[in-house]
Amino acid sequence: MSEQEYYVPHGTYWPIIGSIGISTLFVGFANQMHGVEWGGSVMALGLAITVFMMFGWFGQVVSESTSGMYSKQVDRSFRWGMSWFIFSEVMFFAAFFGALFYARQMSVPWLGGADNNLYTPDLWNAFSASWHQMAFLAPGTELASGTVMSFPEVPATGIATATPADVVDPWGLPALNTALLLASGVTLTFAHHALRAGHRNQIVGWLVATIALGVAFLGFQIMEYSHAYHDGLKLTSGIYGSTFYMLTGFHGFHVTVGVIMLTVILYRVQKGHFNADNHFGFEGVAWYWHFVDVVWLGLFVFVYWL
Amino acid sequence: MTGVVVVIIIAILVALGFGLIGMVKGGKQGSDKMFKSLVIRVSLSVLLFVLVMFAGYMGWITPNAVMVDAPIVQTPVQK
Repeated sequence: MSEQEYYVPHGTYWPIIGSIGISTLFVGFANQMHGVEWGGSVMALGLAITVFMMFGWFGQVVSESTSGMYSKQVDRSFRWGMSWFIFSEVMFFAAFFGALFYARQMSVPWLGGADNNLYTPDLWNAFSASWHQMAFLAPGTELASGTVMSFPEVPATGIATATPADVVDPWGLPALNTALLLASGVTLTFAHHALRAGHRNQIVGWLVATIALGVAFLGFQIMEYSHAYHDGLKLTSGIYGSTFYMLTGFHGFHVTVGVIMLTVILYRVQKGHFNADNHFGFEGVAWYWHFVDVVWLGLFVFVYWL
Repeated sequence: MTGVVVVIIIAILVALGFGLIGMVKGGKQGSDKMFKSLVIRVSLSVLLFVLVMFAGYMGWITPNAVMVDAPIVQTPVQK
């Protein structure tokens, strides 16, 4: 294919297989959430079809690439495709960080009477505006961490109240997880450098370290969730609980996807698919990992600290 | 302190953005630009982490303290 020729994709059945797989997955998931008996099985079937599609479709793209079918024009289209995917990812997380900012800096203080003198106790018995709300913990409740709830001003309606700081301590697992992800960013940068210098063995070593750090992060995140959940911080625990799980949950999902992508790249490096001048697959995944790393840094600072 | 943290976060986002521009551009020049930007972003991130932990240790910032001083209505429940 010449440089000038516009790339027209060939006919392929993979998109329809992907659509069927993802639809099946979500139908199963929705029914599973509603306690329907067959929900789990349909979900597993959908996942299997989706994974099959990914192996088939991605494998086809890789084999087309390695057989020299792609021109510079195709390379540009891949780069632009990646940039649009990234744009959607940025908007996705911007919306959730925006929700966090709006709830914390604006809507919660407003409900507490800031600026507009709204008489909030009429909204809900003894409502007190606090970022720290964790609903349905009665005074006197003892958390697994040993903290005892004691807010005598809270009436017997039992609304409110521990602080997330009682449950989510930034010095423990969150700090360790931040260090792990930052280290993975450093090891990935070394892998990137090794690739540009053409040292394949070093790339493999640094990529394995990056993947291991990502898996360790996910393991500790599961532990963190377990601690937080047993201490009473749930999706239903007021606006902090909702935003906490929504942001960290979706981030964890992105780390999982990133680990899968890095594993594919590791396989491709070992197969010799990349060289110092031509390695867009690596660049795309590397940027994605750096992005996920930065999102976590934002979470660590804004959800756990500030 | 919060201002410094926010400025570093913005700088990290800018570096990441330049990395993206380099990636989209491609070729030797784009690849160089991407790599250099990502090195800056990693360095700034490590700096930010160390700074936040140090500020927390020194008591300059307190976890989730932003609402403590916000106006809170404490009115007796209407009987």
